Amino acid sequence: MVWVLSSIGRVFIEFLASTGRLILFLANSLVQGLQPPYYFRQMLRQFWEIGYLSLPVVGLTAFFTGMVLALQSYTGFSRFNAEGAIASVVALSMTRELGPVLAGLMISGRIGGAMAAEIGTMRVTEQLDALITLSTNPQKYLIAPRLLAGVTMLPLLVLVADVIGIFGGYIVSIYRLDFNPAIYMKQTFDFIQMGDVTSGLIKAAVFGFIITSMGCYHGFNSKGGAQGVGKATTYAVVSSSILILVANYFLTALLF
Amino acid sequence: MTKKMTSKFVLQDIYKRFGDKSVLEGVDLNVFTGESLVIIGGSGTGKSVLLKCLLGLIPIDKGSLEMDGREITQETSLQHEERLQDIGVMFQGSALFDSLKVWENVAFRLINAQHMDRKRAKEIALQKLAAVGLTEKVGELSPAEISGGMQRRVALARAIATQPHVLFFDEPTSGLDPIFSSVINELIRNCVKELGATAITITHDMSSARRIGDRIAMLYGGKIIWCGKAEDIDNCDNPYVQQFIHGQAKGPIQLETDARHVA
Repeated sequence: MVWVLSSIGRVFIEFLASTGRLILFLANSLVQGLQPPYYFRQMLRQFWEIGYLSLPVVGLTAFFTGMVLALQSYTGFSRFNAEGAIASVVALSMTRELGPVLAGLMISGRIGGAMAAEIGTMRVTEQLDALITLSTNPQKYLIAPRLLAGVTMLPLLVLVADVIGIFGGYIVSIYRLDFNPAIYMKQTFDFIQMGDVTSGLIKAAVFGFIITSMGCYHGFNSKGGAQGVGKATTYAVVSSSILILVANYFLTALLF
Repeated sequence: MTKKMTSKFVLQDIYKRFGDKSVLEGVDLNVFTGESLVIIGGSGTGKSVLLKCLLGLIPIDKGSLEMDGREITQETSLQHEERLQDIGVMFQGSALFDSLKVWENVAFRLINAQHMDRKRAKEIALQKLAAVGLTEKVGELSPAEISGGMQRRVALARAIATQPHVLFFDEPTSGLDPIFSSVINELIRNCVKELGATAITITHDMSSARRIGDRIAMLYGGKIIWCGKAEDIDNCDNPYVQQFIHGQAKGPIQLETDARHVA
């Protein structure tokens, strides 16, 4: 019995310690990031990598999700003659839920893992030490620009995903399910409200912070060569994916 | 070595432990201003740890560490940052930034810490690359596109880019063939002489140690067990040093686990 309790206690204490380390790491990075000098080239590079280069992945995911959503909605709604609701269901689902969550999960795999691998490799090859000896704070130079890019680029990506997802639903509804284009468009815009879009964008900003935090934290604290970098990458992707789903519930409850 | 023989670094009774593994067990060392000191020792004896302690990258557990007469173990992050501005470091694996071009690596401190105009920083970087025998064309490549030997030269150019008064070299020739090693040794020797810098080199390559060092110190069992002029090392009567410099399998140096029991 004592053994069981001590094991649970150890895990709990380690969890609290890890959470504390993460909070200190992020707080330090944010404080460093707010103070000049600002590394604009680093910021632009991160905006480019997280934002622009993620567009194909996010766009394709949103497009096919919108198409599937239209098909599945039709299957269900046609059973009680509610096909007219498909347009609004696609629009609301994409903007409030599927856009931010799917984009978040895709970016978590693409960016969170890559960040952990890049920063982890820099750790094990002494590049982070080199940064310090070159009078540059690694958290200011590497972490702060990534956090900023994550928080700002994810909402933009989600906005694009919303539009593409709705377009995917439109394509299927018009060319496969023979809906009237004008009526479909009207139903889409009649039911969608600004709050639906903004709630999705707020979620996206939080998810962006989660993804970049996890990627940077696990990469920054990786050790032990290639195996350590591999572990850091796995932890970054798994932890950010889980945190996205957990945060999604709480944000939905808050913003509903 | 300077005529006055003032101390640049004074290390007294330095201890460092990682978990249950004790790495440094009372290191005492004096590094004089303007001299080139080489610290030799086998793999895993804590040479790189000692170097990182001097750089303030790893905190020591116990002891006193002075630079220019000032205790540096308790320095603030701002003092640490200021101190590092006069120090150039060449890391073991070069530690060049993959995402930057070669010239941007060399000019890194000029651009990011000294906020120099990129054009001017590039000019200086190309001058430094030329000083280590690399062309302007190499400057436009990424570190992944050049050989290991060239990467070491770039790392050296980066270390000397701001003309620091203190230089650290961590295993500058490890993994290089004898010809490249010789080239790097010459470059280091010339750079240190031209800058009039105080240099500390970590190596287990004896030809490199003899070529670069004014003095040589041997780290073993967590302590400096011998320190003297480079030309005296062959005649020293320390059996550990003799075994090490001659690369003999038999002798007082046994497995790493025994290394903690040296008196």
